[in-house]
Amino acid sequence: MRIVCPFCGERELGEFTYLGDAKPVRPVAGASEDEVFDYVYLRDNVAGETSEHWYHGGGCRAWLKVARNTLTHEISAVEPAAGAGARQAVK
Amino acid sequence: MADFSWGSRSPLEHALVAGAHGARGTEAGVSLTEIRDFDLIQVMARRGQAAELAKAAKARFGVAAPNAPKAVQTSDAILIWSGPDQFFVLSKGGKHTMQTLAPALSGPASLSDQSHARALINIAGSKARIMLAKLSSIDLHPEVFPIGSAAATSMDHTSVTLWRGDDRPDGQAVFSLLVFATFAESLWHTMLDAAAEYGVEISHSEELA
Repeated sequence: MRIVCPFCGERELGEFTYLGDAKPVRPVAGASEDEVFDYVYLRDNVAGETSEHWYHGGGCRAWLKVARNTLTHEISAVEPAAGAGARQAVK
Repeated sequence: MADFSWGSRSPLEHALVAGAHGARGTEAGVSLTEIRDFDLIQVMARRGQAAELAKAAKARFGVAAPNAPKAVQTSDAILIWSGPDQFFVLSKGGKHTMQTLAPALSGPASLSDQSHARALINIAGSKARIMLAKLSSIDLHPEVFPIGSAAATSMDHTSVTLWRGDDRPDGQAVFSLLVFATFAESLWHTMLDAAAEYGVEISHSEELA
């Protein structure tokens, strides 16, 4: 598997580290215990298109958001994660 | 109390043995030259200030700093891309140090002195690219990686900053590599192993090019 880093170009998988699902959004301060539990523990086990965070630690050290199909491993889109480089952390 | 010597020493001081290594009998196919005593400052744009840093860097160096994997030669330094919104300033002789760069760049950027945190190795010779192909997964063919190209990548599981500077007067390509000081000896031995079959000429130098 290879990932086309938006900053570096196409690189081998060994340069990247998988973080996990990019969909969960941190609950606001004071959110209920159930919401925090969902955010921390509950994940969908998707067969198909997923959105994931990957870290290009063996390269430019940027966080990336990767759209990947878990059935085919096909990667359809890669974009910088919020906060990559000097970008604003929250859009 | 024990006396300490705080003089700077090369991380390759023990591993580097100047002279010939590996195959003999023909001209060495690879030359490995460690460059010593350089100034290396990492410049990283502060959050939301990439455009301001680009402007300040242009004013300081006279040329635009790289905003893509490139190495840019200025009159007295090399600016090497090291990641999004950040680059290295590599120079010799105290021309670009924390003291001289901070007034110009510390507004829109964070500066970090890496002079003694990296080893700098120049790789040249007729077999340089073939040797590097054993260690690097990126394409270094001149059509893909021409003069001025740079890459933040990994070699032998070790993060490196790799770029191609100006060719030697005899037309040979020169690849330069910055590696963390504590990983330098390991990568050096790996490169020696990879290059041994072509014959290696080993040296160290005080000059950047």
